[in-house]
Amino acid sequence: MRIVLLSLSLAVALALGSAVAQTVTVAGGAVGQELELTRAAADRYMQENPGVTVEVLEVPDLADNRLGLYLQFFEAQSSEVDVYQIDVIWPGDLAVHFVDLYDYGARDVADQHFPAIVENNTVDGRLIGIPWFTDAGLLYYRTDLLEEYGFDGPPETWAELTEMAQTIQDGERAAGQSDFWGFVWQGNAYEGLTTNALEWIASNEGGSIISPDGVITVNNSNAVEITDLAASWVGTISPPGVTGFGEEDARNMWQAGNAAFMRNWPYAYSLGQQDGSAVAGNFDVRPLPAGDTMGGEPAATLGGWQLGVSRYSNNPELAADVALFLASYDEQKVRAVEGSLNPTIMALYEDADVLEAVPFFGSLFDVFTNAVARPSTATAPNYAQVSSAFYTAIHSVLTGQEDAETALALLEIDLEALTGFPTGTP
Amino acid sequence: MTSRRRLSKTVGQVLFWILIAVIFVYLIFPFYWALISALKTQSELIRTPATYFPENPTLQNFRAVFQNTAFLRGLGNSLIVAGSVTVLSLVVGAFAGFALGKLRFRGRTPSLYVILAMTMFPQIAVLAGLYAVIRTLGMPALPSLVLSYMIFTLPFTVWVLTAFFKGLPTTLLQAAQVDGASTMQTFVQILLPLTAPALVTTGLLAFIQAWNEYLFALTFTSIAPTARTVPVAIALFSGQISREQPFGEIMAAAIVVTIPLIALVLFFQNRIVEGLTAGAVKG
Amino acid sequence: MTKESRALQPAKSRGPSKLARGEERTALWLLLPSFLIIAVVALYPFGRVVLSSFTDERFAAGTDLRGEFVGVVNYQRLLSMTLRQVPAVVDVDTGERVLRDGQPTFENPRLFLRRLGTSLPLDAVATFRIGGNLWVLGATSASFIRSVWDTLVFTVSSVAIETVLGMIIALTLAAKFLGRGVMRAAMLVPWAIITVVSARIWEWMLQPTRAGFFNTLLNDLGVTDGSYAFFQTAALQVPAMVAIDVWKTTPFMALLLLAGLSTIPGELYEAAEVDGASPIRRFFSITLPLLMPTLAVALIFRTLDALRVFDLFQVVYGEARYSMASYAYYQLIAARNVGMSSAASVIIFVIIFAFALFYIRALGVDRDE
Repeated sequence: MRIVLLSLSLAVALALGSAVAQTVTVAGGAVGQELELTRAAADRYMQENPGVTVEVLEVPDLADNRLGLYLQFFEAQSSEVDVYQIDVIWPGDLAVHFVDLYDYGARDVADQHFPAIVENNTVDGRLIGIPWFTDAGLLYYRTDLLEEYGFDGPPETWAELTEMAQTIQDGERAAGQSDFWGFVWQGNAYEGLTTNALEWIASNEGGSIISPDGVITVNNSNAVEITDLAASWVGTISPPGVTGFGEEDARNMWQAGNAAFMRNWPYAYSLGQQDGSAVAGNFDVRPLPAGDTMGGEPAATLGGWQLGVSRYSNNPELAADVALFLASYDEQKVRAVEGSLNPTIMALYEDADVLEAVPFFGSLFDVFTNAVARPSTATAPNYAQVSSAFYTAIHSVLTGQEDAETALALLEIDLEALTGFPTGTP
Repeated sequence: MTSRRRLSKTVGQVLFWILIAVIFVYLIFPFYWALISALKTQSELIRTPATYFPENPTLQNFRAVFQNTAFLRGLGNSLIVAGSVTVLSLVVGAFAGFALGKLRFRGRTPSLYVILAMTMFPQIAVLAGLYAVIRTLGMPALPSLVLSYMIFTLPFTVWVLTAFFKGLPTTLLQAAQVDGASTMQTFVQILLPLTAPALVTTGLLAFIQAWNEYLFALTFTSIAPTARTVPVAIALFSGQISREQPFGEIMAAAIVVTIPLIALVLFFQNRIVEGLTAGAVKG
Repeated sequence: MTKESRALQPAKSRGPSKLARGEERTALWLLLPSFLIIAVVALYPFGRVVLSSFTDERFAAGTDLRGEFVGVVNYQRLLSMTLRQVPAVVDVDTGERVLRDGQPTFENPRLFLRRLGTSLPLDAVATFRIGGNLWVLGATSASFIRSVWDTLVFTVSSVAIETVLGMIIALTLAAKFLGRGVMRAAMLVPWAIITVVSARIWEWMLQPTRAGFFNTLLNDLGVTDGSYAFFQTAALQVPAMVAIDVWKTTPFMALLLLAGLSTIPGELYEAAEVDGASPIRRFFSITLPLLMPTLAVALIFRTLDALRVFDLFQVVYGEARYSMASYAYYQLIAARNVGMSSAASVIIFVIIFAFALFYIRALGVDRDE
């Protein structure tokens, strides 16, 4: 198969002339440092492979805008971009537009990566994207405040977190910090709420909304219980406005020193340690708390980015080579050391250079191995609507319009109509 | 004048100035808030309670904005697009306005309605179709923006200019024709110069609308990042790290893009009212 | 440019004897560019949208899946509504209504609607009490119906407030006073700020913590505890949009009205003043009637604009609350449902068209001369 494809792409290369065929465009890395890292990696590839030009196309940083851009390329079946940086929730939806990387040599390297991500990126046995860097929800906590209020360590369960947050908040308020809150997270009605709520539910043994084999599991007593708990935070340990919070709203409050705990992605770590941050040197991260049910384990929603090769590329063989190069051990190491981007290759969490540069990575290994994927692959091409129905239902509980029991019963009916899947227990 | 009258006049004066002050604060305050937010340091920006004046004003955000090539390119693109939109809608609009306002022909009223009906097309309703047209024509991003912005600038331009031409005395046209001038000569040499105030007004309106447009710009320039206009560039502003949104810089950029527009408006201020007076109001 | 210069040709060769026919031809040439543009940017794209509103087309579905004709299914999904009485909760043993605090209790209206077993699940748009009974308005696309309602409320209130405020500002600025130039300039500031940016500015001022201006101010005044969630309080979501829109577009209204005011001859006022007419009387008997044509134009443009509102809702609420246009955008981009999005767009068009017709009838805008 590979030989056939190789000779085919060579023929195409000859037919189109080398100038066209030997340029690979990578859409990815929108933002300052991330973009520079990608450019540097492209330069290294070009040094190793003279005659190939790798161009980096800047894409919007916000995932929704980025998807909008990609869809335009796909609708036009454009060959302009060869390699796409794709979000962890897109492989299912976009599978039709990508080649199977297993046909291009990914079989040899796939098992180096976290299995959960590889499974997420595999649609009908086809590897849609090679994992590039990952992301997962973390609990940020104030070490100084925990000590001040006599706690031995960060909370293990959500109930503990609720209690500790309340204690610290009451104490800080009494000390005159009238803007202080216990716990900030992402409660706006958007994809971010799906990731937050999935963490609560999965950690309380409430399943992952829809199981990978297509069973709607969201309507269960564990999910109801933890959702009700979350709703009780709003206005008590979390500000009433948390139901409008995104990542940056939570980080701004946290970084101003106005919160004891925060749920956020790893990006907030280095920003929080910068000069001028009110919390610099006074916080740490750990896996999110677990539910109180028997056997409840911390869960983090899987985020992060993959590299996929467009089906409309003029030279998929070369494009796949670039993609696999960018996602290789050495390249991921550079990105981890220089940009604190979380590798997807498991061995890198034991790499001495990486751990020296970013010490907190070591504690993340378990988080990533236990990360929960959103049900995007199973529900394709309806994931956007599934997620929208889910976060709308959760949001209605958080804002007090429905109780959790009713909201999840309603959600179950909606998901049945949307996907046609059966219902069941997690 | 009795003292009672004088008193009531003074009270009236005071109330008038209070009203003026309230209106002024209402109009200006959000702009002021954006300005001080741009001058604050990152840590002051997120501090509670918010400060009404920046404690340590810094130009850091403005410096960052002027070093942001995507933003500067956006400024350039916006100038090109909004400028071209203005010229194109004035040229096309003046032709149509003259025909509809001064010439007699069958189908005049329906023509006016067809053009006005364009105002009714929600941008979102034509987005997908328009995108297909642009792709079929193979138009680059900037010209495609200029063309698509006609959907909202042209109706207003035609409307105002039609009313304006209608208001010009028909004797002018007749006198010129008696002198042997063709209709077009009359239009270009005699009537058009008279419409200058209306051209300034509508041109400015078209410029501002094009400068502000977001939906089309976001959609049509996403494939061509170098063609992004300023609203898109600001909306896509990102920090050094993914997910970070540098709010101070966004506000600095907001100030930077607003000031030229305010200058423009100030410069043409009297003309705007003049143009609208003579034209639109007779609709 | 070539089209335009060709347009000059026929007119030049025409003699005065054929004046009328020449004029007609000139007019058509002059209108040609406008009509070409309209055809390319409005009619053809809209035609496509109308066609795809009858299909199940999906955006970027890949080569294998093309949209198929599905009739009016999309419209049914968007517009199907039903009005039902919500059953009271009845005690299984006694067969009597269960009372809570002396009031009858009812089933959850949303669950009741879902359990009706319609082919597409119904959701509640609104509930209301008539007599002792609870009624619910159900719809298959409750968020679309709600977006239509919200947009109408937004439009009517923002245009009404803008008109009144714009009138006050215009009347004030029509007076001659020191600093009038500064005021006129200040008036144009909100209007010159890019909509997307002004939405962000207001969002920042209305933050749910004291990092925002309003919470700080209201807390200083003792009104709130400094953590009031403006955008998250359902009852305030549309009013917040109205407030931003009023700030942003009142200047446009005031500008138009100011222009209209300056056309009213000063002698009229002087005469009225001599007759001893009060300022209020003068406003209603002179200013308002003479301002009507200006007002009509301003109202039409503002109303049609407000009905299309997109940027504000999109930037501030995303998918938490829709305007009609941002709902259509959600269907197109996030859900990639071209058929549904197109059908929603057609409905928006019809609503806007109805408004335009109403104005033309009611205000007599179409009268010639």
